[in-house]
Amino acid sequence: MEADSDHSAPDELDTRLERIAEALIFAAESPVTPERIAGACEAVTGLAPDTGVVADAVEQLNARYEESGSALRVETWSGGYRMATSERFAPYLEAFFEKEKRTTLSRSLMETVAIIAYRQPVTRPEIEFVRGVSADYAVGKLLDMDLVDVVGRSDALGRPMLYGTTDLFLDQFGLSDLDDLPNLRELEELLDDPDFSDEKAELFMEADLEERMDEEEEAPAGEPSTNGKA
Amino acid sequence: MYQVQLQDFEGPLDLLLFFIKRDELDVFNIPIAEVTDEFLAYVRAMQEIDLDGVGDFIYMAAVLISIKAEMLLPSDDDEAGDEEAVDPRRELARRLLEYKRFKEAANDLERHQERRLQKHTRGAASSQEKHYETERELDLDASVYDLATALRGVLTTLPEPDPVHAVERESYSVEQQQTYVLERVLEAQTVSFEDLVRERSRPFVIATFLAVLEMARQRLVTISIAASNQDFYLLRPDAEAE
Repeated sequence: MEADSDHSAPDELDTRLERIAEALIFAAESPVTPERIAGACEAVTGLAPDTGVVADAVEQLNARYEESGSALRVETWSGGYRMATSERFAPYLEAFFEKEKRTTLSRSLMETVAIIAYRQPVTRPEIEFVRGVSADYAVGKLLDMDLVDVVGRSDALGRPMLYGTTDLFLDQFGLSDLDDLPNLRELEELLDDPDFSDEKAELFMEADLEERMDEEEEAPAGEPSTNGKA
Repeated sequence: MYQVQLQDFEGPLDLLLFFIKRDELDVFNIPIAEVTDEFLAYVRAMQEIDLDGVGDFIYMAAVLISIKAEMLLPSDDDEAGDEEAVDPRRELARRLLEYKRFKEAANDLERHQERRLQKHTRGAASSQEKHYETERELDLDASVYDLATALRGVLTTLPEPDPVHAVERESYSVEQQQTYVLERVLEAQTVSFEDLVRERSRPFVIATFLAVLEMARQRLVTISIAASNQDFYLLRPDAEAE
């Protein structure tokens, strides 16, 4: 590496670490953890910088990119750093890579991967129960795409396989780790949703069931047919 | 006459959520009879185009019918404690809400992936290529079901702006089927359910089944389950019923 004379940073070592991180993250094709950057430094100089110091250096690097209006950014995905183009240039990249059109997952794969992500480790029957449809195809497809993997076996009858999401899933969804997943709405919140009418959870739990059953019984008796509807 | 709009539903629960939203139904007080009818109409339309997913819908149709049947059965008035009684629709309501949570989570994840796709990294193009390869390989291993699904895909992407299927109104009523079942039982003393509905359409089978449940409730017939669990028999309760 050449002398970093263009920037007169107060702390030369920090600036140097920033450039080393930049080089490693640029060259890597998958997320680079701060530990690996520290490890590379140790292999060359015999001194391993603290991972917190590495993280600070990467932050400085990003600040410098932002300041200079660079097309690049360092993103934190799947627990490591990746160099990526800024979204401002997305139209150009899409035009450039027109043959490799990248799209989001289909609806069924998206719902399946969501259940696996939030419920992991989860068995296939559990996934099927939530969606009400067979998960054979979706799980097979997600396994092929490396977005999910078998992470063990359940103690339940038949010892079904347990599925979980992979590092690639975090990378491809721009998540740093599983805690970075958007919050799953609580049932109570759903019940306040205007989509569902005014009857609320309390009603659900301690409903006046008898009254409701009576209503239901009366209705079909008065009709000419219980299963026909004009 | 039902007009069923063939939209892309992710499954039976998704379809039920659609009904609930469209008709502004209360998820805890679903009018099971109406919803079941419309659900069955959709299933029939679906059978014409989809081989693969229809089984999941038929399963849910059975769940709806069993809930409907359960609600027809008299509740034991002796057990005064109404806290004991559980609305048969409760489990379904729970499942619908749970599914809705994950539908929303899938939307959130989709937005994340969209944003991520705006950001390009090195090596992404080649790894993407690898995925396309496995996809092609998979397709060669495909079964006849995948072929049918593919055909359905082709059919649904045809430039038909608004694919509307006309579904005939169900032509069997439970009352009608009760008469039919009674005739058959009186004639033969014992009839297996399979014989009653052999080579008949699904609505016929379902209406007959509901008729049998209703008659069992009124003690017009007795039901005996076959050892194989695949069928059951209807018997006249005794001679004096004649």
